[in-house]
Amino acid sequence: MQKQDELLVNVTINGKEIAAPSSLSTIQALWHAGYPRVKSVGCLEGVCGSCRIMVRRKESNQVSMELGCQTLIEEGMQVNFLVFPTPTHHTYDLNTIKSSWEVQGRFHKIFPEAEHCRHCGGCNRSCPKGIEVERGVELASKGRFREAGELFIECVMCNFCMTACPETIAPNHVGLFSRRVTAYFHTRPGNLISRLETLRKGDLDVKK
Amino acid sequence: MSKNNQGIAYDKALKKYSARKEVPAAEETLAPETLLKQFHPDYFPDSIINLKVGANKGEACHHQLAAMLQSDARIDESDLAGAPIIETDILVIGGGGAGCAAALMAAEAGARVTLATKLRLGDSNTVMAEGGIQASIEQGDTPQMHFEDTIKAGHHFSDKELVAEMVMDAPEVIRWLIQQGMQFDLDKYGDLLTRRAGGTSAARVVYYRDYTGLEMMRVLREAVLNSNIEILDYSPAVELLANESGHCAGAVLSSLKDCSYNLVRAKSVIVATGGIGRMHINQFPTSNHFGATADGLVLAYRLGAKLRDLDSFQYHPSGLSHPQHMAGHLITEGVRSAGAYMLNAHGERFVGELKTRDHVSSAILRECVEGRGITTPDGAIGVWLDTPGLELREPGMLAQRFPKLIELGKKSGINPLKVPPLIYPTLHYQNGGVVIDPNGLSSVKGLYCVGEVSGGIHGKNRIMGNALLEIISFGRRSGEHAAANCHGVKHKKISIEHLSDLRRELTQANMPMDLQGPLLFPECAKFENDSDYDGLHKNR
Ligand SMILES: Cc1cc2nc3c(=O)[nH]c(=O)nc-3n(C[C@H](O)[C@H](O)[C@H](O)COP(=O)(O)OP(=O)(O)OC[C@H]3O[C@@H](n4cnc5c(N)ncnc54)[C@H](O)[C@@H]3O)c2cc1C
Ligand code: SF4
Ligand code: SF4
Repeated sequence: MQKQDELLVNVTINGKEIAAPSSLSTIQALWHAGYPRVKSVGCLEGVCGSCRIMVRRKESNQVSMELGCQTLIEEGMQVNFLVFPTPTHHTYDLNTIKSSWEVQGRFHKIFPEAEHCRHCGGCNRSCPKGIEVERGVELASKGRFREAGELFIECVMCNFCMTACPETIAPNHVGLFSRRVTAYFHTRPGNLISRLETLRKGDLDVKK
Repeated sequence: MSKNNQGIAYDKALKKYSARKEVPAAEETLAPETLLKQFHPDYFPDSIINLKVGANKGEACHHQLAAMLQSDARIDESDLAGAPIIETDILVIGGGGAGCAAALMAAEAGARVTLATKLRLGDSNTVMAEGGIQASIEQGDTPQMHFEDTIKAGHHFSDKELVAEMVMDAPEVIRWLIQQGMQFDLDKYGDLLTRRAGGTSAARVVYYRDYTGLEMMRVLREAVLNSNIEILDYSPAVELLANESGHCAGAVLSSLKDCSYNLVRAKSVIVATGGIGRMHINQFPTSNHFGATADGLVLAYRLGAKLRDLDSFQYHPSGLSHPQHMAGHLITEGVRSAGAYMLNAHGERFVGELKTRDHVSSAILRECVEGRGITTPDGAIGVWLDTPGLELREPGMLAQRFPKLIELGKKSGINPLKVPPLIYPTLHYQNGGVVIDPNGLSSVKGLYCVGEVSGGIHGKNRIMGNALLEIISFGRRSGEHAAANCHGVKHKKISIEHLSDLRRELTQANMPMDLQGPLLFPECAKFENDSDYDGLHKNR
């Protein structure tokens, strides 16, 4: 569907030199050049976090972490697709936390490394969504889970920050934990609860 | 889309456009049925044929889907020689919302659960959902009203029993999601905020910003990862296995990591493989994720499962039409619910923006065919979604409630607060699917099908928020039922013998057999079995 006269740009993706129209994302460019690419492709809309790439732009020695479906190719760009990391070793079951009084204590048992954050900012720099990851970890460590969770609204769980963290904190899982305990213990909507109550009493029914 | 070529050029139309606070409502003269018949893609001439083999022989089906349902299998007996066998109680195929809900319920009930998914856990249509999920919880609303809206929007083709069960489940579904740790948007008293959807008679859609699916999926994924469910990722199912009596007894998985086959022997199987968008029915762009290729329909059909409504697909009215590299990306219906108008090239409203999706999409297609669309230099066409007008009426609301829309604006270089996005219908949802009962069981023993792969709930058109409800409602039901009924089941023999019958039938019906199914990956990815983990073997 590409127009013939569209300008081609030259990029290197996983060591392969590719020329493709500048309107394509890195993934589309690979497909365009005849390389199969199915792994690390997901929603193609920037929300599943699968297409992790490392990018270096022409005349820059900075490397940035981005999402492959969201990054359009540019002349001289170098791209490497990254394999998805193995899952974090942190595990927990919300149902075993008895009450919200216990959450902070449990948090430090589940994520013991979080207090040792060395404020290196590696997580912030690696986040393609611009999330204040480091601050999130700090807030969670202080037990301010609601606030911490708010910072991770746009987190796509790409795990870049996890890879970047020298203390193996798994900051994104800290963020998600913060969000989950907030809902689990504090989301108690009156309108929902009274509807559940009416249903429990059998006062509502559906006539087909 | 060639017949759409007359219209007004993008630059010219944009010059003519100005954001206005109020635009008079459309006067609709055409009867709704006539509009659909004339413009809806389901009625495109020659697109529907009759199936020649299988449980739906003689019934109507879109020709692209028919080709897949009547395709040859990817494997035969010789591929399976020496393949390792994994034993489990319940095999869940598909790692979206329906699959995760089913797996969590089955595991909670004590069953041994294995979840196989095509790519990563959570790569799905679920993660992309924006608008929200329906549950009748407001004072003026009842499950009965939810039921009636659903039946009416589906043009009375829905299975009433399934719909009744689903709408009664809805409040409990929301409670369950909250207990998994999912957040929703709340008002200052902590009540769930609700909004209307096209075709609902009350505000009934609950949501989390325009990230409802992302929030749901990351929470369910985390719950699954923190359970004892065994996860096999990068493992698309290529065939189901049957026991000596034809009951479903597992599946053949193809591991993308080492290009080998694994057999899973299970007491029952829950197929939750989602939709069909990446088959690009009628050559439409799609809003769906990369793995939405109708695999589950093909697998179930081969084992004899009955399907329904295979001629009915949903085209979402607001797919992005420009720029071209983002064609098909969705702008949530929530934006229209919040009050955005749609305008044609002359700046006129042409349809009630909150009519049902099939109606609104047909109206957009009509504007384009009749020369009132806006055309771009690269051949795309569409109408305006008047977000700048909404910004005038309610300043700040878009930025607050629709962060994903603002992001989309940055990526497309079109700031929706100033410039209206150009939209065109995008292939969004498979209305039909596998026939199921209220436990999610298909017509084949031991085979459950839940989520978008199933049919019957939405009839021939779905309203926003009912898909997310369906996947959790029936996902949970199937997981519970499968776990409760797996005791004492023992399959002596597991095989793909049903494929011999299939091949015989296909030959007898003179089918071409040159296509192999399921599709697994869209054509553009140039998937081949030999692609290694880094995907850098050139296919030529
Ligand atoms: C952009 C977008 C926005 C939407 N917004 C809304 C909304 O606001 N409200 C609403 O109610 N609905 C919405 N929907 C619809 C809704 O999201 C989906 O219908 C629903 O999430 C489907 O869930 P599922 O679990 O059935 O399938 P999916 O979530 O698609 O999951 C299917 C899973 O199966 C896997 N799979 C596929 N084939 C195989 C195979 N052969 N082997 C192994 N695994 C396989 C896939 O990789 C995927 O992980 C939206 C859909 C899209 C695309
Ligand atoms: S917070 Fe971590 S996992 Fe989330 S988007 Fe940023 S880098 Fe990715
Ligand atoms: S990368 Fe780890 S140690 Fe560094 S700031 Fe982030 S959380 Fe702290």
